[in-house]
Amino acid sequence: MRNRLSAIFAGICAAAITAGVVYAQLKQSVYRPAELGTMQQAAPAALSTDAVYEVSAYPVPALELAPAEGRQDVQIYCNTCHSPRYITMQPPLPAETWEAEVNKMTKTFGATIPDESAKKIIQYLQAHYTPGTRNN
Amino acid sequence: MKLCARAFSRRNLLKNLGVAGAGLAVAGWRAGASTLAQEPGGAKPIESFTGPGVNPHWNSLGPYLSEPGKVPLILLTDRPVQLETQRHYFQTAFTPNEAFYVRWHLDGIPNAVDLKEWKLRIEGKVAKPQAWSLSELMQKFKPVSLAAVNQCSGNSRSRMQPRVAGGQWGNGAMGNAVWTGVRLRELLEVAGVSSGAVQVQFQGLETGQGPKGLGSNVFLKSLDITHPILDECLVAYLMNNEPLPMLNGFPVRLVMPGFFAVYWMKCLTWIRILDAPDNNFWMKTGYRVPDTPRGNTTPEEIKAGKVKTIPIERMPVRSFLISPDGSSKIPAGMSVTLRGIAFSGFGRVSSVEISDNGGKTWRSAQLGEDHGTYSFRTWEAPWTAKSPGKHTLAVRATDEKGNAQTDESVWNPGGYLWNRIERQEIVVGNAS
Repeated sequence: MRNRLSAIFAGICAAAITAGVVYAQLKQSVYRPAELGTMQQAAPAALSTDAVYEVSAYPVPALELAPAEGRQDVQIYCNTCHSPRYITMQPPLPAETWEAEVNKMTKTFGATIPDESAKKIIQYLQAHYTPGTRNN
Repeated sequence: MKLCARAFSRRNLLKNLGVAGAGLAVAGWRAGASTLAQEPGGAKPIESFTGPGVNPHWNSLGPYLSEPGKVPLILLTDRPVQLETQRHYFQTAFTPNEAFYVRWHLDGIPNAVDLKEWKLRIEGKVAKPQAWSLSELMQKFKPVSLAAVNQCSGNSRSRMQPRVAGGQWGNGAMGNAVWTGVRLRELLEVAGVSSGAVQVQFQGLETGQGPKGLGSNVFLKSLDITHPILDECLVAYLMNNEPLPMLNGFPVRLVMPGFFAVYWMKCLTWIRILDAPDNNFWMKTGYRVPDTPRGNTTPEEIKAGKVKTIPIERMPVRSFLISPDGSSKIPAGMSVTLRGIAFSGFGRVSSVEISDNGGKTWRSAQLGEDHGTYSFRTWEAPWTAKSPGKHTLAVRATDEKGNAQTDESVWNPGGYLWNRIERQEIVVGNAS
């Protein structure tokens, strides 16, 4: 009886020591919750044998622009030729660079933006996308 | 695709559009498609922008986006489409088509091409204007293959100081493929270039929303008819022995080995022989570099208006460390293999050297298989980090013309021609 108790006691001690050693060696089995399925696989396309070679529509993901005066003008006029992601992709640019960019769109590329709106767009970009003003 | 097919009869749509017989259908943009950004492997996502300092990352920062015919790539812009290839795809000499970077200038790009309608045309100052279907191009002319790097003029633009506006590419606006097609010279000979011809102009199926005649409406590139590079150009219908992905220029694109990708017209449809120099925006204003060593200048010189510019042409020599990429630690004393690629638009890469002390001393890397003058050349070198700490690896290449990468940075207002020596910090940990 006494021997049996010592054997059990010894076994518990050994298990505790082993657990301690393993803990010292490994940080193990750490999992965290995550979102799944926000980027889905594409289903295989149905293909015909005719001469038309086709792909699906190119995706245009939603984009967050600074919510402020002038955003609507950006969404209307800049968006005519390109997605406003052209703005958020840039590094913070100096105020005069943004002015030059908008002027390039109207003068060089012929964008028809009313003067009033062009002014508002420049002010919007300068208020939210320069080194001193950009935060996202 | 479904939207397009349901709203219109496809055949009627193609017929009605009839854009100069090109038979392209530009489907409506599908707004608000799934926002991507699954959180990466338990880590925090990368920051949403860098600057005004240098982008310190190898690639650009966008989230991943899955476009038709492509694996998820790094999104720079969605309309027009600009996607960057992740660093690890450059472990091999050839870049998989589905991972090959994408760069368009205008938002009207084809979702479909009807090969019953589509023809490659040669027009303008020629004796016999031509129009070939894809099957005629494949059958009437001898196929020629060559390996060549396609690199965006603005690759690595996010390295420049001060930062310049434009696509904020990291290093992944490049790729290498075996291109197979017809020699441009053969096509020009069949058409018979007339005397008085001055330039040859290339146009693809890309169109924009801007007014006619402006760069925002049409993308055109031209070269002098006497330019020697014309003898090396291909009109390619195969990319790595597969049809070109739509986003890389199906059904054919121009291949101009050694030259920046701006000339590699996607969905090439019109070859026009001109009797006067092309003064369109994309020649006269866009894609020009200072006529100085390495295209280098300063904002002050530009402001003073004294910088003469020339159209961008060949790609300067570059090399990259692809792995290890610095994302995990290496135990001290472990011997690993450094791997990467190198290329030059001026000739074969003749040597690649690596340094593990930030460029103080250099030793040669072993070059991989030679796939041709204008291909990526893989390289590798063994490396053992003896002591724990931060080690800076650097890599530089030299080409057969003696052009070597240097430690000097490049600046010009277009953000072109970056080829400074690349560095990678590697953290070496204790092994006991």
